[in-house]
Amino acid sequence: MSKNNSYKILNTRLPRVDAIDKVTGKAIYTDDMSFPGMLYGAILHSPLAHARILNIDTSRAERLPGVKAVVTYKEAGTQPYGVSPARYDETIFCHDKVRYIGDEIAAVAAVDKDTALEAVSFIKVDFEELPVLLDGRHAMDEGQPQLHDMYKNNICARVNWNFGDIEKGRKESHIIRTDHITSKMQDAAFMEPQSVVAEVDSHGNLTMWSSTQAPHYIQRTLAMALNMPLHKVRVIKPAVGGGFGPKASCSTVELATCLLALKTGKPVKTTLDREQVFLHSRARHQFFHTMTTGVKKDGTLSFLEHHCILDGGAYASFGIATVYYAGSLLGGPYRLKNMKYDGYRVVTNKPACGAQRGHGAVIARAAFEVQLDRIAEELGMDPIELRLKNVMEAGETTCNELFVSSFGMKEALEAVRDSAAWKKKRSLAGKTRGTGKGIGAACGFFVSGAGYPIYRSKTYHCTVVTKVDEVGGGVTVSSGAADIGQGSDTVLAMITAEELGLPLDDVRVVSGDSNLSVDLGAYSSRTTLMTGHACKDAARDIKRQILEVIGGKLNIPPEKLDLKDGRVVGIDKDIDFSALREEYLQEHKGFMDLPEGPQLTFREASRIAFLEIGSVVGTGSYRPPKLGGSFKGATVGTSPAFGCSAQVAEVSVDLETGEVTVDNITGAHDCGFAINRTQVEGQMQGSMMMGMGEALMEQIIYNDKGRIMNANLAEYKIPTSLDVPHLDAIIVESNEPHGPYGAKEVGEGAIMPVIPSILNAIYDATGVRIDELPVTPERIIEALKKKRENK
Amino acid sequence: MILPRFDVLVPNSVDEAFAMLSRYAEKGIRILAGGTDLLVDLRRPIIPAAIPSCEGCARHKSGSIRSTVDCGWWESDSSRESDRALLTKVQDSIHKYPEYIISLHKLKELRGIAVNEKVNLRVGAMTTITDIERSGIIREKWTALAEGADSLGSPLVRNRGTIGGNIANARPAADTFIPSVALGGVLDIHSEKGSRKVPVDSFASAPGETVMEKGEMITGIEYPAPPEFSGSAYYKLANRKALEICNVGVAVWIALEKPGGPVTDIRVALGAVGPTPILAESVKEVLVGKKPEDANIKKAAKAAREDATPIDDHRGSAWYRSMMVELVTDRMIRLAVERVGGKV
Ligand SMILES: Cc1cc2nc3c(=O)[nH]c(=O)nc-3n(C[C@H](O)[C@H](O)[C@H](O)COP(=O)(O)OP(=O)(O)OC[C@H]3O[C@@H](n4cnc5c(N)ncnc54)[C@H](O)[C@@H]3O)c2cc1C
Repeated sequence: MSKNNSYKILNTRLPRVDAIDKVTGKAIYTDDMSFPGMLYGAILHSPLAHARILNIDTSRAERLPGVKAVVTYKEAGTQPYGVSPARYDETIFCHDKVRYIGDEIAAVAAVDKDTALEAVSFIKVDFEELPVLLDGRHAMDEGQPQLHDMYKNNICARVNWNFGDIEKGRKESHIIRTDHITSKMQDAAFMEPQSVVAEVDSHGNLTMWSSTQAPHYIQRTLAMALNMPLHKVRVIKPAVGGGFGPKASCSTVELATCLLALKTGKPVKTTLDREQVFLHSRARHQFFHTMTTGVKKDGTLSFLEHHCILDGGAYASFGIATVYYAGSLLGGPYRLKNMKYDGYRVVTNKPACGAQRGHGAVIARAAFEVQLDRIAEELGMDPIELRLKNVMEAGETTCNELFVSSFGMKEALEAVRDSAAWKKKRSLAGKTRGTGKGIGAACGFFVSGAGYPIYRSKTYHCTVVTKVDEVGGGVTVSSGAADIGQGSDTVLAMITAEELGLPLDDVRVVSGDSNLSVDLGAYSSRTTLMTGHACKDAARDIKRQILEVIGGKLNIPPEKLDLKDGRVVGIDKDIDFSALREEYLQEHKGFMDLPEGPQLTFREASRIAFLEIGSVVGTGSYRPPKLGGSFKGATVGTSPAFGCSAQVAEVSVDLETGEVTVDNITGAHDCGFAINRTQVEGQMQGSMMMGMGEALMEQIIYNDKGRIMNANLAEYKIPTSLDVPHLDAIIVESNEPHGPYGAKEVGEGAIMPVIPSILNAIYDATGVRIDELPVTPERIIEALKKKRENK
Repeated sequence: MILPRFDVLVPNSVDEAFAMLSRYAEKGIRILAGGTDLLVDLRRPIIPAAIPSCEGCARHKSGSIRSTVDCGWWESDSSRESDRALLTKVQDSIHKYPEYIISLHKLKELRGIAVNEKVNLRVGAMTTITDIERSGIIREKWTALAEGADSLGSPLVRNRGTIGGNIANARPAADTFIPSVALGGVLDIHSEKGSRKVPVDSFASAPGETVMEKGEMITGIEYPAPPEFSGSAYYKLANRKALEICNVGVAVWIALEKPGGPVTDIRVALGAVGPTPILAESVKEVLVGKKPEDANIKKAAKAAREDATPIDDHRGSAWYRSMMVELVTDRMIRLAVERVGGKV
């Protein structure tokens, strides 16, 4: 599909503003940075999953030549911090206990990395080993090891929701099914390991460059945990090689590196090894879902009763939001009047889990969409028909009070159905089921930016300041937004260029710096909608100021002027700009590249505006209106808009070996309006690959001591380019009233239908359901074997 | 760096290499070919428990082996029994974290693919996996080896990795080792003192352990010329299509009297289902002299399964691997027979 509107820049396929720098290796990532006199940091991790710390002896490490500082909790203090203020359960370093293999105990700064690592190995820690808790399913049982005093029975957070009337729904049901799905902890497998450089200037200002998704939150946490005034802490995000969630919370490596810089007065750099990325984790939880769903004879959903245990590892991180999301986002995209949810997020002696693309909702979605498929089969109904029967439309509100202002769910389902020739292929299902070829469908639903910040506040979620070059010509957009590879800088540049009628090359975006503006960061698929609004307002502010000056000078009302193709134009008649041109030319004697033609260029107009009123600066701020219900936890899941998606997957399965080949994925996503069509497709394709990995390959494997057995990218499997099937990404545009130009999310919503559509296709191909993720060849063969034995 | 400290030696000739290998044998010296196994192996793990840890060490409880070695306490203080056990550990680790790395990259004579007058194939130890993958003659006549090369790692790894390194590393899932066993490869092993020939199937004794002595090095591997009406095949069963360590790997080489005719010889090699790649000897008993027919092949595949000794580990379960050995052997025998021009 191509664009069908009058925009010059928006809705096109312009190349990303950072593309050339990235492909030529020019882009600067944190680990590329270096300062004179810079020291290198290294971290001591716990070798035990659960133990009391009896003594830490750093003397030998301190004596090693080249070591400049060794820090433990004694230097760092024991100020608790975390992601959600209600669950501050971490300290910079462990002081009383270690709670997982990898828990951070100390850090060293030395003249080189070698020395720092050597010194870390010289720190002597005496432990008293404690019993280890690894199985999340049994974490709440009597007699289990207890991880934290503040979490009785290891329950870190619980949700008990009851919307509508479950009993009524049960009575109305023709079919009621209960199914389970469990998944494994996962890693986000971003390309760039976390890296941090910290420096303190002679005025006591701390600057930290970090591979982060959320400079603002990190700034807050640093200030709080290091006991510094917020304005003395600056966080800058250089180019980032992917985040997917784990980089949205403040990490020990960030805190420790800052502490080392404060202690030594020198710049310090610490870059994690891949093994440490796995140890730090903060990625996808392990989920144990049980769902009971009822439907009427005609397929109308009557209720959902949902129970979930989330194994979150040793600390809370984003986990409270996760346990809420796991329940709340099943409120859509189907009309569901009665929904009960009991969620328990428990702690175990494993690396802490946090947010990961599709936060909390991905496995829940997989479980529900697989169950819908099973229900369709029992009803003898086409699974897409069943879904079409139940999908919500724009203007509806879910039972948990999420209002969907635009909703192309039906369009998306129909698009994948038709594009993948579903009817033709599926009509054979009766005959082909279990023959090794399969096709499956699923839908998804996701927020377009969290309705509330992670800390309780009235804060604007983002602001943008755009300034016109005082010499005339271009503009600079300043924002705290974090481009982590998803392309938000390009979105901001395109919006500004569109509003000001400029070519993309004349818009410079500086971003990802907490000194520039407040921006909550790259998470919950919020930037295009939220920072997009602020950016649009800032650009319009500038445009108004420039046109007021020009109009004033020429005695024309500014509404009769516009900025187009790099020029000021009259809206309904040609205008004589020669007096202004003369003023500009007077200033530029000796220049050769001078403006010509009948219209005034933006270069002239912006210079003349500056000469008249001084700095021309436009600002924009955005925060969502009050959203959601008033029940406990009602804020999680709210959003100014919701994205939705549908997908059809086709697979081939070798029924003797269990090997799965995904042949085709056809996905459609309603992003409201595509600011950049290629970027929207890129997010969809990336989601398809990532979801495919989660469905088929990805799992962190622990041994019985709590040690990760596959803490590297050779043995933690994600799809390679050879595994990627033909991907078809269809953009649906529903024109979201609360989004800039109608735009809303695609970054996370697009992953929602991926896992279940593949699982449903595998069922179609094999005739067996596998309720444990990932669906490895071995699990398929096991299920087929069981089925044969039961016959 | 995450690597331990070592010096790098770069010999200009094979003889110089032999001399260096023997001179530094006691101090610890390891050969660097492509480095795609070696550097991974040398990398210092973040959680030190993965290497033989110096628990019991009087001076420091945690710490890398290298620092234990460097601190030298054990030289003066190794009288007690427990300390002697530790000393052995430390000495092992001197071998693992050696003082010297000897790089063979300048020894051009170790790289290359040649077929001699007896039509035997000789592949130099430093021949890269990519070289093998691209060799037309290997693909035509020693097909299983070409298929092993195809399935190894990714293009980047294949460009650096060598057959010598793949075999010397002696992992049960090594993708050129397994077909080399089936194809009857024989290693040329040299040292300052002389040379010897070792069949690939008796080269490895345990994961990472081989019959090579200190000062020795592999210079090449020779494969017998395939007789008329013989063919081979290799399949690696894994969870993804590249960059995989096989769950089960099976290489089959078969010789028939004539297409479809009785089996005169067969060698089946099994990977990842034992401590080293295994030659499934019992297959020979079942199939030689028999026609390559459905029932016989099924029996042969069962026999291969009996020869395998898979274990449960984080990559997969024993029961699945055992089942797959039979299945993949069955498929590979059929494929090899088809390649000879037969039909099953
Ligand atoms: C990402 C990745 C993926 C991989 N995938 C696979 C795979 O799919 N299948 C597979 O089988 N392997 C795989 N490997 C392992 C490795 O690439 C291969 O085993 C490769 O062939 C090793 O060759 P090398 O030249 O790099 O060996 P090196 O690393 O240089 O050496 C390996 C070992 O052999 C010794 N050695 C090397 N040459 C000689 C010699 N001539 N004589 C005596 N000893 C010698 C070295 O001292 C060392 O102990 C992978 C590795 C990586 C990093």
